[in-house]
This record gives sequence, C-alpha cells and structure tokens, in this order.
Amino acid sequence: MNRYLFFGALVVLALVYPLLVQGIPVWERMGALVLLAAIGASAWNIVGGYAGQVSVGHAVFFGFGAYAAVVVYTHLGWPPIAGAPLGMLLSVILAAVIGVPTLRLSGHYFSMATIAVGELVRVLSSTSDFLGGAQGLGGPAMPRSVFDLSFLSATPFYYIFLAVLAFLLGLTWWIERARMGFYLRAIKDSERAARALGVSSGRYKLYAYMLSGAFTSLAGSLYLCMFGFVDPESGFGILISVKMVVMAALGGAGNLFGPLVGALILVPLEELSNSYLGGRGAGLTFVVYGAIIVIIARFLPSGLLSLFRPRPSKPAPKSEIASGHAD
Amino acid sequence: MKTTRRGFSTGAAITALGLAKGAGAQAAAVKIGVIYPLSGNSASAGNYSKQAIEVGADVINNGNADLAKIMPLAKGGGLSGLGGAKIQPIFADNQGTPAAGQNQALRLISEEKVAALIGAYQSGITVTASAIAERHGIPFVNGESVAANLTERGFKWFFRVTPVAIDFARAYSEFLREQKAAGQKVGSIALVHENTEYGNSVGSVIGEQFAKDGLSITQKIAYSANSSDVQPQVLQLKEKNPDVLIFISYTSDAILYAKTMKEVNWKPSIMIADNAGFNDPAFVKSLGTTVEGLVNRSTFAGGKPGSVPALFNELYKKKTGGDDLDDVSARGLQGFLVLADALNRAGSTDPAKIRDALKATDLPAEQMVTGYDGVKFDDKGQNVKASTLVTQMRGGKYVAIWPKARATDQVILPYKGW
Amino acid sequence: MSFTLVQVIVSGLLLGAVYALFASGLTLVWGMMNVVNFAHGDFVMLGMYTAVVIWTALGGGPFASVPAAAILIATLGVLSYFLLVRHIMRGPMLAQILGTFGLALFLRYAAFWYFGADFKTLPDTLVGGSFTLGGVRFEGARMLAGVGGLAITLLLHVILTRTAMGSRMLAVSEDPVAAQLMGIRPQRMQAVAWAMAGAATGIAGALIATFFYTSPTVGETLAIIAFVTVSFGGFGSVLGALVAGLIIGVVESVSAYLIGPVYKDVIVYVLFVLVLWFRPQGLMGKA
Repeated sequence: MNRYLFFGALVVLALVYPLLVQGIPVWERMGALVLLAAIGASAWNIVGGYAGQVSVGHAVFFGFGAYAAVVVYTHLGWPPIAGAPLGMLLSVILAAVIGVPTLRLSGHYFSMATIAVGELVRVLSSTSDFLGGAQGLGGPAMPRSVFDLSFLSATPFYYIFLAVLAFLLGLTWWIERARMGFYLRAIKDSERAARALGVSSGRYKLYAYMLSGAFTSLAGSLYLCMFGFVDPESGFGILISVKMVVMAALGGAGNLFGPLVGALILVPLEELSNSYLGGRGAGLTFVVYGAIIVIIARFLPSGLLSLFRPRPSKPAPKSEIASGHAD
Repeated sequence: MKTTRRGFSTGAAITALGLAKGAGAQAAAVKIGVIYPLSGNSASAGNYSKQAIEVGADVINNGNADLAKIMPLAKGGGLSGLGGAKIQPIFADNQGTPAAGQNQALRLISEEKVAALIGAYQSGITVTASAIAERHGIPFVNGESVAANLTERGFKWFFRVTPVAIDFARAYSEFLREQKAAGQKVGSIALVHENTEYGNSVGSVIGEQFAKDGLSITQKIAYSANSSDVQPQVLQLKEKNPDVLIFISYTSDAILYAKTMKEVNWKPSIMIADNAGFNDPAFVKSLGTTVEGLVNRSTFAGGKPGSVPALFNELYKKKTGGDDLDDVSARGLQGFLVLADALNRAGSTDPAKIRDALKATDLPAEQMVTGYDGVKFDDKGQNVKASTLVTQMRGGKYVAIWPKARATDQVILPYKGW
Repeated sequence: MSFTLVQVIVSGLLLGAVYALFASGLTLVWGMMNVVNFAHGDFVMLGMYTAVVIWTALGGGPFASVPAAAILIATLGVLSYFLLVRHIMRGPMLAQILGTFGLALFLRYAAFWYFGADFKTLPDTLVGGSFTLGGVRFEGARMLAGVGGLAITLLLHVILTRTAMGSRMLAVSEDPVAAQLMGIRPQRMQAVAWAMAGAATGIAGALIATFFYTSPTVGETLAIIAFVTVSFGGFGSVLGALVAGLIIGVVESVSAYLIGPVYKDVIVYVLFVLVLWFRPQGLMGKA
C-alpha cells in the first residue's frame, strides 16, 4: 500500500514539476533534459539491462534518429518530428543488420564490436554530403509552424518527453511480465542454460535489440527537435553511447526505474557542476562529476536502486570474479 | 600560466568591481555572457580566448593610457555611455558539445541576465547557442566561427565579426598568384585537411576559389582529426612532391605533421598552414623552429610598436606569463571589443538598443586588434570589413608579410623548415 | 611493390608495435581478470605527463622517465585496484564501465586542472634522429617505442606462461575459489596484476611521449584503438594483442596510403567485426 502511495506521489510530482519551477527557465529545461536522457537510457536498458547485452554503440541509433529528423527537414522541408517514425523504422532495420553478426558474441566481445560499429558509422557519416558531412545539419532556424516544436520554454518538451517516457516504461513493464521478459532474464543469467531449455536466445536478443534501437532513435529525434542541430560527434559520438550505459548502470540496469534514477542524478549533476564550475576553465566540472560517479560505483556497484531492493538472487561476489573468461 | 588560469575569472570580477571609482561605483556592472570550450578537445583555444577577453575587460574598466590615444574605450572607468558601468564577462563552458552550449546560453540569459552573448568557437555550437539568443531577443556576437551558413539563417540578433572561409581562400589565391608572378613555382598544389567541420568547409572553399583563379590543386588529402599517425600521408606527399602544400589542421595533427615531415625529410617550396593548429601557441613554442618560413593565415600579427595589436599583446603577455596573442584569442578579443563599443553607444542594456548600436557599428582599421579593415555589419550581420593577413614564421615567431599595406616584413621563399 | 609502399608497411609495423605497447597493460587486467578499464587511456596519459615533467622540468632523459612512469602508474594501478576495482568487481559487469568511466573523467580532468589544456611535446633531440636500412628509413623514437612494445609484451607473456607467479595469476583468473583452496590469495594476485599492468602502461606512456604530443585528452584518442587491439587479439592472450596490434598498424598505414586516411579507421573496424564473425573469441583467445 505504502509503495503505491509513494509511486502515486512521484507521478503527481512529475506531472506538476513544470508548474513548480515555472518562470525559472533553467529548471524548466532541466526537467526536460532529465526526461530526454531517461528515454535514451531506458531504451538502452531493454537490451543492456534486461537481456544483459552491454551495447556501447547505441549512439548509432541515437544518431540515426537525430539525422532522420534533420534530413526530412533539410531535404523535404518537413517538420523534424516527422522524421521520428522514419528514424525508428530505419533503426529497427539497422539493429537487425548489426545485431545478427554481433549478438552471437559474448560479454566484452559484444561490447567492443558495438563500439567498433558505432565508430564506423560516425566516420562514414562525416563523409556523407547528404548528411551534411562533418559540418552537420541544422533544423529550422525559425519556427514555421507549431509542428516545428520550437518553443521558448522547455515545458512543452517536458510533457512530450514525459509522455514518451511513460509509454516506454509501460511497454518495458509489460515486457518484463510477458514471456519475453522471462526469456531475457534467462538469457542474461546463463545463455547456455536458456538455450538448453529451448529458449531461442538469438531471436529474443535480436527482438530486444531492435526494440531498444527504435526507442533510442526516438530519443535522438526528440533531441534534434529540442536542440536543432546534429553533427557526427553529437549524433554518433562514443560519449553518447557511454552516457546511456552510465546512466542505466548508476541507477540500476535491468530495473524499470534504474535509468530514470540515473538520469535524475547525473543530468542535474552535470548541468550544475558545469554552471558553477565550468566558467573557471580548469576542468573542475569533470573532476567533481567523475569523482561522484566513482564513489557511487565503489559503494553501490549494482546501482542506486540496489539500496532499496536487495536482490538475493544476485550472484555472490566470488562467482562474479569466477566468471573469468570461462563464459 | 597555471596560476593565471585558475580562479582568474573571479579575480577579474573582483578587480573590476573593487576598483570601481567615481560615477562607476553607482552604475551596476553590465554582464556579458561568454561561451567557450573550456574543457574537451578544444579547451586550449577556449582558455586562450578567455584570458584575452579578461584583458579586454580590464582595459575597459581600468584604462590604459597608451591604448586610450587610439581607442576611446580604453580611457578607463568602464562604459562611459552607461554612466561608467563596469563591463563584466561571465564565462561558461560549452564542453565541446552543441547541447551544453545551448544549455549554458539559456542559463546566461535567464539566470545571469546578461546583456549580450559572445561565443562559441565551434560553428556547430554557435548554431545552437545563438538560436536560443535569437528566441530570447538577446544580441549574439560571434568572433571566430567560420561556417558560411551561420549568417544565412535570417537571424536578427546575430553578428559575426570574423572573416569567413571565402576571405581566407581569396587571400591565399592572391598571395600565390603574386608569388607566381615573382617567379615561384606554384604548378602543383597539395591540400591536406582534417575531416571535421573546420577542415572540410575551409578545404572545399579553397578548392572552389583556386579553380576559379586558375590554380590547380593536384592532390587532396582528407584525414580524420586527432590521428595517431600521419606518416602514410607525408609519404604520399613526398612521392608526388607538390610545389605548394596547404594544411588545414588542428593542433594535435599539426604537431604530428611538422614532426613527421622532418623525420621523413621532405618539404615543398611553399608551405601554407591555415591558422588553427599551426598558430596554437603550444605549437609555436615547441615546433616553431622546425617550420621556419611557414606561411600562415592569421588575423593577428604583432603589429608595429605602439599600435593596438602590439599594446594588447603586451598586456596579454603580462597576464599569461609570456604567451603571445594568437589568431583565435585575438579574434575573440576583437568580438568582445566590438560588443563593448556597441554597448557604450547604446547607452543602455536594453537588447533592442544594443542591437541597433551593433547595426550602426563603424570601427576604423587602426582600432583593430586583428588585421581587419574595420568593422561594419551588413544586413545579415556579417562584418564586411573583415579580412585576413598572411604571416610567415621567422625565428619562432610569425610576422606579417601580406598584404603589402600591413606587412612588417618581406616574403622569404622557398620554405626552409628545420 | 613501390618503394614508398615498403616504407609505409615499415611505418605501419612500428605503429603496430606501439599499439601493442599501448594495449599491453590493458590485456593484462582485461584479458586476465575480465575487468574492462575505461581509464586505461588516461593511465597512459599520466605516464606521458610523467615523462614530460621529468624531461622538461627535472632535466632527466628516458632512463629516468621510463622507470619513474613505470613506478608511478604501477602505484596508481594498485591504488585503483584496492580503492575501486576490488569493490566494483562484486557488482555486475556494468559496474566496471561505470566505475572506470568515472575514474577516467576524474584522472583526465585532474591532469587538465594541474597541467592546463595546452599540448606539450618533448624536444626530439634526446631520442631523435633516424637511420636508413636498405633504403628504408627508421626513426629513432618510434623504433625505441616499437622495440619497447615488443619487449614488454614478450616479457609479460613469459611471466604469465613460464613463471610460478604467472601460473598463480592464471589460476586466480580461471577460478579464484579453487585458487584460494590451493593457498593462493586471489586479491594479492590481482593487485600484482594491476601493478604489472600499471608498470607496462607507464612505460608505454613514457615511450609514446617521445614522438607524440601530450595533452589531457590524448588518452581518449588512443583508447578505442587499444580496446579494439585487445579484443581483436583475443582476451587473455598477450601475444594475440601483439599480433593484432601489428595487423592493425599495417592495415591502417597501408589503407591510409592507398585509399585515404579518412577511411583507415573504417577498414580497421570492418576487419575487426569480420574477425569476430569468423572467430568470436578473437585471433588467439580461448574459445
């Protein structure tokens, strides 16, 4: 009962947040930034957290989404948001193309292959004139209609992002309880055992990867609508991929709300430390940011949510070490 | 160097406020938001520019007798048009990402209530940061981003002081044709450029301009910035052995190219570097003597003693403990001074009045820190008097050699190297 | 085969040896202990700064800077192990990414804060010069780094496969519980592995600094290629990393020369993914 009350209070808080900070643009924007980061990290969570396939190349999908949005504007004159479905579709196809060869790989090999694919796409994008090359492409400089989603305040973005995140978390929640969720957990715990039990592990990993890619792409399209510019580095850069992983891991990967919690901590931390320390130009922002991540990882290696939900089924320390390269 | 960088912004602010005297003490300081890459890969450029702007603010607030003879702004006592209000730059780090640039622009406008913005070095970040300024109706003065489309967006609050790629391309073209007339061989030209926004845009503009002017680019090499090794490219060059070599590179690659060319022992008869990496004080300090005779493009050259660039350079040197102003920091400072001049004439921190003052800007060449013919904006906000100097490395220092009107030294060719 | 191409291949081999050198420390902690260290590039960066400081401020040459960097980074490795890595190994694999990414940012910007953002280069007089052999030019500093890379990789290989200490470390990496039952203290062995990895990384940094620029973000530039080198070669195989490093170096150089430098990374990544397609355990990793 208490838990529902707590949860309900959080939902209400999320809904009224913009009213609480109304007239303070920086905090209005902060809310939107947190939700946007949470969408990306939650999308990553489907394959990285639930299925345990640690992709460090999700920027590929993010970039596809961002570029799809800007390309329909640049080449067709459509509002950028119209590119979002296109980006999602392309990302699903792309996920299949990348996933078939890479998802066979285990553990770190998969992570490294996704890094390589991410870098590959980044370099190729910078040589494509269609994508604006290394200079990147800008969205509509001036809003032409309401569909360009060019708002003075970040509050409309906040509610758009909130709706998307709610849908994504709902979908994840449903998957968690559906057959696919069972399969994914089984694959994560031991792929060999899952296969022995007749789970077609390759297929379910691929489904998770495609779904994850589609929503990461949506996050990219939304990013473009808000910021209005993308170049190879801000679309496909490895930092984009790493941040998704870090946010999910910080909150608790494989946990429905883990990525949101991670975003709630890291985004304000990054913004505030940059605002208060960045102007000195001594790199102090990242000294603080890095130190806080290290401290959290040191004391809560399974993420912040492990504080509230001790999971006895989690492997004991020694078996983690024992995993060696025997897996 | 280290100590000056650390904690100076607060220091500058305190000095600026603390030394306020007379009428200035009553007027509130005018805040200017300055967005630069203060961390990440371009941090060294951002930090140089930051220090240059701090020097500029110090001159306006506390005066400089020598500069005051040429520049009315340097009389001291802040902005006379605003009752002696001090000018206070508020720095923000764009972290090298368009997102951080835009977030910081919003913070400076809404939290710091800055009267105007300056920045943001990388063209892509200037795009996102100036978009926020435009929506909020705050003037944005850009001192150094060269992407052509920045002034093609129909913005009403955007002003760009720097020359752009086409200005550089024309300067190289004219310079080379003059050398050709003087008997140098310019039959084959190699263009080596890095593959991000800067190298690509400048490289393609140079290619187009040269084709128009009948200079033939015989070899074009694009490479990814921050290479781990450039030997294959240098060997390619050595094989084709072009007469003229043009580099468009950032610092890390400039260092590798200069070192590798010496290792491979190959040099063209004319070597040109498009500013950036080859102008970075870190490059000049460590490798200046291995690129003797390198022709460079710079909007800044030391200038004659007693001139605005020379005087500012001395102040900058004193502040940084020995570094000279370079092209990037000088352009940043120039942008700041243009904005300060407009603020002074506007006599108000009302954005619309500042914008009108910016539109009416007409600064003469002798007041320039950079080698521009002056500052005057067209309808799109581009400074039509922006131009560039051609410089040459002479004993570890760049001197101006072209155009003749502003040259302090003669051209010496061929390229000597190490 | 054109003469320049021979020169390109030679320079690729030297570059490859440097990649192997760069990756050697990473192979050890990643390959042996299954810990991915995202801060590896920044360890190398600190090794480079050690060389810069000893060279420029204290006036010492490579004989002073290489051991100093080895000791300093080995200490850093052991400290990182005891203060951070030991604890995050208890969590899921993701915790390693989280913790070492935080460490990477912290180290990178601590260096930034202390040394400034400027690029530093060492004077090339100390290990400068070059010599020609059969018309092919070898450059002193790169030779030194390349030979150093070979030596360190082979030394690590010998330690791991031919000494009692190596056997103990392998035992811990295979099965810490069983190793403990046999009287080996896993934590101690892992700390030793981090010290060795740190020393190798420090030496790598000090040698690379002789011909490369040093800046706070330089580790980032080289780190991805180090990751690729290690997994290309196969986790747990020091020799695999060496072979992979040499292949990557030559492929990069030759493709930069023949196709164009922009595409050299593309070709390396495609090759890497192809290798994993046919050999999911890397070139020389255990299946």
